[in-house]
Amino acid sequence: MVQGRTGYWFAAPAILLMIIILIVPVFVAAVLSFTDYSLGSQSANWVGWENYDKIVNRSTYEKMFGASIIYVLVVVPVSVGLGLGAALLINSLKFGRDLYKTIFFLPVMAALLAMAIVWEFALHPTIGVVNTFLQSGCGGFAEAFFSWGWLPFVDGSQSWYGSRCAAGEFPLWLGDKQYALATICFIGIWQAFGFNMVLYLAGLTGIPRELLQAAEIDGAKSGWERFRLVTWPLLGPTTVFVVTITSIRSFQVFDTVEALTRGGPSKSTYVMMYAIYEKAVQQNLMGIGAAITVVFLGFVLIITFIQRYLVERRVHYS
Amino acid sequence: MNMSEYIGEGWKHLLLIFGSLIVILPFYVMVSYSLKSPAEISQNTGGFIGSQEMMVSERCVKRAEPDRTAIENARGIYPGLSDEDIRSTLMAEIEAQCSSLPVVFNYTTAFSEAPLLRYLANGVIVTVSIFLIQIVVALPCAYALAKLHFFGREFVFGMVLFCLLIPVHAIALPLYIMLAKAGLTNTYAALIIPWTISVFGIFLMRQFFMTVPDDLIDAARMDGMSEFGIVWKVMLPTAIPALLAFAIFSVVAHWNDYFWPRIVITGDRDLFTPPLGLREFKGDADGSFFGPMMATATIIVTPLIVAFMLAQRRFIEGITLTGMK
Amino acid sequence: MAEIQLSGIRKSFGETRVLNGIDLTIREGEFLTLVGPSGCGKSTLLRIIAGLEAQDEGDVVIRGRRVNGVRASDRDLAMVFQSYALYPHLTVRENMMTPLRLRDLSVLQRLPVLGRFVPGTSGVISEISEAVRETAETLKIEPLLQRKPGQLSGGQRQRAALGRAMVRRPVAFLMDEPLSNLDAALRVHMRAELSDLHRRLATTFIYVTHDQAEALTMSSRVAVMMDGDILQLDTPAKVYTDPETQQVAEFVGSPKINILDAQVGSGGDINAFGFTMPVKIPNGPFGAIRVGLRPEHLTVKSAGEQGFAAVVRHIENLGSDVFVHASLEDGKAILVARTDPEGAFALSHGTPVSVCLTGHAPLLFKTDGSRIRPTTTEPAMAPLAREVA
Repeated sequence: MVQGRTGYWFAAPAILLMIIILIVPVFVAAVLSFTDYSLGSQSANWVGWENYDKIVNRSTYEKMFGASIIYVLVVVPVSVGLGLGAALLINSLKFGRDLYKTIFFLPVMAALLAMAIVWEFALHPTIGVVNTFLQSGCGGFAEAFFSWGWLPFVDGSQSWYGSRCAAGEFPLWLGDKQYALATICFIGIWQAFGFNMVLYLAGLTGIPRELLQAAEIDGAKSGWERFRLVTWPLLGPTTVFVVTITSIRSFQVFDTVEALTRGGPSKSTYVMMYAIYEKAVQQNLMGIGAAITVVFLGFVLIITFIQRYLVERRVHYS
Repeated sequence: MNMSEYIGEGWKHLLLIFGSLIVILPFYVMVSYSLKSPAEISQNTGGFIGSQEMMVSERCVKRAEPDRTAIENARGIYPGLSDEDIRSTLMAEIEAQCSSLPVVFNYTTAFSEAPLLRYLANGVIVTVSIFLIQIVVALPCAYALAKLHFFGREFVFGMVLFCLLIPVHAIALPLYIMLAKAGLTNTYAALIIPWTISVFGIFLMRQFFMTVPDDLIDAARMDGMSEFGIVWKVMLPTAIPALLAFAIFSVVAHWNDYFWPRIVITGDRDLFTPPLGLREFKGDADGSFFGPMMATATIIVTPLIVAFMLAQRRFIEGITLTGMK
Repeated sequence: MAEIQLSGIRKSFGETRVLNGIDLTIREGEFLTLVGPSGCGKSTLLRIIAGLEAQDEGDVVIRGRRVNGVRASDRDLAMVFQSYALYPHLTVRENMMTPLRLRDLSVLQRLPVLGRFVPGTSGVISEISEAVRETAETLKIEPLLQRKPGQLSGGQRQRAALGRAMVRRPVAFLMDEPLSNLDAALRVHMRAELSDLHRRLATTFIYVTHDQAEALTMSSRVAVMMDGDILQLDTPAKVYTDPETQQVAEFVGSPKINILDAQVGSGGDINAFGFTMPVKIPNGPFGAIRVGLRPEHLTVKSAGEQGFAAVVRHIENLGSDVFVHASLEDGKAILVARTDPEGAFALSHGTPVSVCLTGHAPLLFKTDGSRIRPTTTEPAMAPLAREVA
């Protein structure tokens, strides 16, 4: 059959590239993860589970998993929540929608590496605008308000802002192991939430106005009730997707870490992608890098399977 | 609108404006620093654009500092002056030459200190090649999967769906090893090859082609067009909107990509893509170079931002394409 | 007793005026249909009654209570939407329970898991379940209660939407083109069901449609709307046989009424295309008028009989009826006449025929479209009392 032969010819390049570029590397990684291979050496020794053993038992890798998982667990809920919140707010506006949409989408468009470097400037301990700004708030209304001293049972001088002002010093942010990961998370959220917002806005346009009106007539008087009854359930598919893609992307965080902290201070931001880069590319320890790659792929697969399961089980309505 | 609606709307705007300020902050810092002089940056003065007073570039002065031969040569122009006087006269000339507005200094330094134009050209070469090859590979395959009947079609489509699960970044290490073994690291090929196959592109185009009526293809066959002709002369034009969205998706991803170039380009500056160039700049920057560095960042970020501003809807469509996975 | 009263309702969307001062009184328990071509403002009027849209001017009074500015959820009306607007993630039972849950349970009682432990919840829930069961029984949708809307056919969704509206026993049902998404056969069937439902519930139905057949078959009264005005409000029979304007006459009835230009002579004779009508209007107006002839008031006879001399152009055979399209004076006008299938047997394209009146008086209109009511040849009709305040 002519069509059949043409079909093969048309699909062949893609099949070939899929195999070489996507499928073979997975097996290469799997095999190398059991060796002590390094580039340039002629032979590699089979080391069995040694690499995985290290990953599980060494504190460096414990820190690596900790940093990656904390990063994902912080960035995903916050950026999804902010994305949803912004989408709902913008969707209910009477004017100015496009303006906010554009602004919130800017970080998605800008090269993360460039913006990470800019954030580093903004967060510079002495000349950065953030600390300068915080400093300038001390002693004035801002300190009085944000030290929360006006709340009952709160001692303003003990609160975060109050005590910083009193001491006259603000965090080093990226240089302080207490704050470094949080700062990296913040940049991640800053970059990701506009993307989530746009997906949610698209999801919102898919909700028929008639359904919200039906809810109103059925007696859902408050916005919250209509959200619970109509909006949130109908955004289910969007949410599943947004959470999945944000999780996978968060696991892949690299640019900010490489440019700003190099995994430090004291491995507090030693995320998986950076670990792969450092071990394999910089230190030429391919075996351990491959093992981390395999674990990493495992995480991605788990997330995707959870997504597929949710999509198939619950979210197809009509 | 009654009073309470105005108040409600007002609150929403207040919240969104607060959010916008945080979102814009780094862009503000970036552009502002790219305009100001080193002194203004380190003292955090001068507002957004700085005072734009003439400044003298120390590097420029140092580089042009008159040595013995320069002074000897100048003796003819300034007869009768002592060496010291000639030297100071020359220095004054050089300082005059090396002084400029901070904004001019920052941007010219950005281009002169590193081959920024080369980086930008590399960025264009890499993103355009990736996109074109992706299309050449994906389009016929998508057409075959959507419209041609051949044994094993379901299997091939299954393979595409499976490959959608593998993020290329995740298998960067084995890819790197394979490229290194093939001796391809530090080449354009290394930057391009891993991205030549976009399973997502195949999937997307296949979904799009499914909606094209069979009648159109049959009509083309009746007109005597070859299958190859159908792909490029019939299917491609119908798929322009989807293709445009995919183009934006692809170009944005690869212009901004830092991880992959970082791995396969290890030293050859001539192959640096814009983000790598900027990273390199950061690596050897001292305090006085914040301005030029921010100018570089601005130059790298601007093309996409401007394109986005001009064709917002298309861009948002393109970037959210991943939403279809 | 007046149940829902509208007075002076005006509404514009930007520059476009949609409703120009509508006055309408809807009686307790009647089936009132708002019918008109798309864009005539009927849906907007319904949504103003529902409270989904706010009028620019005028009052809506429901059971003596002015509800301007009262929100939809507080008006005690139920609405069936064109798209049914069923909650896609809830089963039919949950869909039907929603309006009762939202009204009869407090915020605390509605909490997902904890709500069950609030005193009194179980009692209310069993009442709600009972109400849902009864309604489902009435609509014969009990087997569907566990399904989700996505698993239902169009007709079943329609019933589920009706069910959700009915459980609450509202003051009135508002229906916005509820049958337009069904196929033709089901639509005819649902018309009968809706009429039946209306009789049994004895509640007010306000029904919006663009389909004049739906309006004629189901309603107690029909309000024909065009360009933001109610042109005529009357029983379906009256609207059909005694339209007040040419627009109404043309909108109601299928196939459409034939409208011919005619001349009134000084004696009151009406002449159109060489044929003199069996009606006179000695009191005028004289000069140009228009004559409206319904297809069923015409028949086709062999050429030469007393009637319009015409040539057959097209024969539309519907099985039970045959509509003959005949052209007058070489196509200056086309008359559509109904004949029985036997009569049409001998006809074919190009046959010269006479199109004759079957004895019904033609409807006469001035050139501006208003109705002329002959005073001599027919007993004078009682002037139509418009129900408008």
